[in-house]
Amino acid sequence: MSDVFILGADMIAFGRYPDRTYFQLGAQAALLALDDAGLGVRDMQAVYASSCFNAQSMLGQKVLKEIGQTGVPCINVSNACASGATAVREGWIAIRSGVYDAVLVVGAEKNPHGMLGGPPTDGPAPEGLFGSETMPAVFAEAGMVHAQTYGTTIEQFAQVAVKNHYHATMNDKAAYRKETPLDMVLQSEMIAEPLTKLMCSANVDGAAALVLVSERKARELGVSRAVRIRASALASDPFEPRNPVMFDANSVTRLAASQAYEMAGLGPEDIDLVELHDCFATAELLHYENLNLCGDGEAGRLIDSGDTALGGKQPVNVSGGLLSKGHPIGATGVANIVEIVEHLRGEAGARQVKGARIGLAHVLGFGAAAGVHILEKA
Amino acid sequence: MTDAPIQLPASNCIELENEAPNIRGYRCASCNATFTEQTLACRACGTRERPSPFRANETGTLHTWSVVHRSYPGIDVPFVSAIIDLDGGPTLKGTLVGATHDALEKGLRVRLVYDDAGGVTDRNGTPYIGFHFVPAGACQ
Repeated sequence: MSDVFILGADMIAFGRYPDRTYFQLGAQAALLALDDAGLGVRDMQAVYASSCFNAQSMLGQKVLKEIGQTGVPCINVSNACASGATAVREGWIAIRSGVYDAVLVVGAEKNPHGMLGGPPTDGPAPEGLFGSETMPAVFAEAGMVHAQTYGTTIEQFAQVAVKNHYHATMNDKAAYRKETPLDMVLQSEMIAEPLTKLMCSANVDGAAALVLVSERKARELGVSRAVRIRASALASDPFEPRNPVMFDANSVTRLAASQAYEMAGLGPEDIDLVELHDCFATAELLHYENLNLCGDGEAGRLIDSGDTALGGKQPVNVSGGLLSKGHPIGATGVANIVEIVEHLRGEAGARQVKGARIGLAHVLGFGAAAGVHILEKA
Repeated sequence: MTDAPIQLPASNCIELENEAPNIRGYRCASCNATFTEQTLACRACGTRERPSPFRANETGTLHTWSVVHRSYPGIDVPFVSAIIDLDGGPTLKGTLVGATHDALEKGLRVRLVYDDAGGVTDRNGTPYIGFHFVPAGACQ
């Protein structure tokens, strides 16, 4: 089986693009990634395209209509917030199995405006009558379990937003680049306790792309900037008694993480930086434990320690994360791999994690899906 | 000729028997896991036998919650979105009414109360029946 390398990685700045389509955004990211790899669309043997809301519109084919209709297979993927990681993993499987030597992965999304949440139903709208199906409420309820079990405070959850907004000030591709001190986070509009508005991810548009190649192709082209995929894991939610009445963010992430660590032959202590799915500030603390960055119940202490901030022992979401860089859903899982690649290449500028050799990227899709990739400097 | 229904369930969990509402759960005969919907096989253990319907208790405990201050446009806030473990299962999501902020804690005893689902009706004017939760000692 061939090892798989990331040869090209790039993204457009996340934000709102009212005058552009999602496939134009995807095409732009695809060209950036191809340029980064020093390759052209004719070198790509397949396209793996991800979008939560528009995969069924033949996103990959629409991207190729923008940049060159080469006739290669397009695989269009929708897997909620894990769509991007799912597309990356499909490309990884194809190269690893020897079918292709070079593929393009592209994630693109124009998010709907407003609060994301549950599906339409017959009869009275359930919102408010039967609790809340909004995403902030769902992740607030998950955070309250942690607060009740371990005494985690709203200030500790809020520190995640303080940290990630600060990180984003060093990322010119982040949707928001503004520091938010603790008071500002706590005093911003309360959405669903304990989540204030600044503890919710930025609902924006965006696109990101990768060029994946086989070991043979990487050697042929030169591997100086290549990044090796040490592990690619994807899980669906295993049975938990309250799920799906109560969304379970934890067991699905733990399953994918344990598979990824095993595949890589690495443990959490080997990871130099992490991009994890901070769709809400509560989620980041849950995932510290789910990814085994600390023991159960220790996430509050970990954020307080500063170890997960830039300059700390194991920085988390130095891109600004979903909270501040933004969360264009189908692009998110590709973009957090782009971020890891920049650090492993030593090209992350002011937010560079010094000496980074191994990074982990995680996404979590509602419904549920979790993707974990572990990358290593080649 | 069948009579038109005089009320309609606003949740799939509500079963109307001779117009009297109760909460319908499903239990796997093999592993005893409980659910709010009937699946083709047990989603917990995979046993190829449909979980059987049972009439759930209308008392339970609060597992977690969030006080929701902003929801979709037009939804009255604040309200308490709660995850309730019914005694004997299953777990339901519902709105918890009448609990003070200080009273909210994991393990709070609650009971289910049927309501008019916000007073909405279907296109024929038939009212819906819904439910919410109140602290166990509360009178409504």
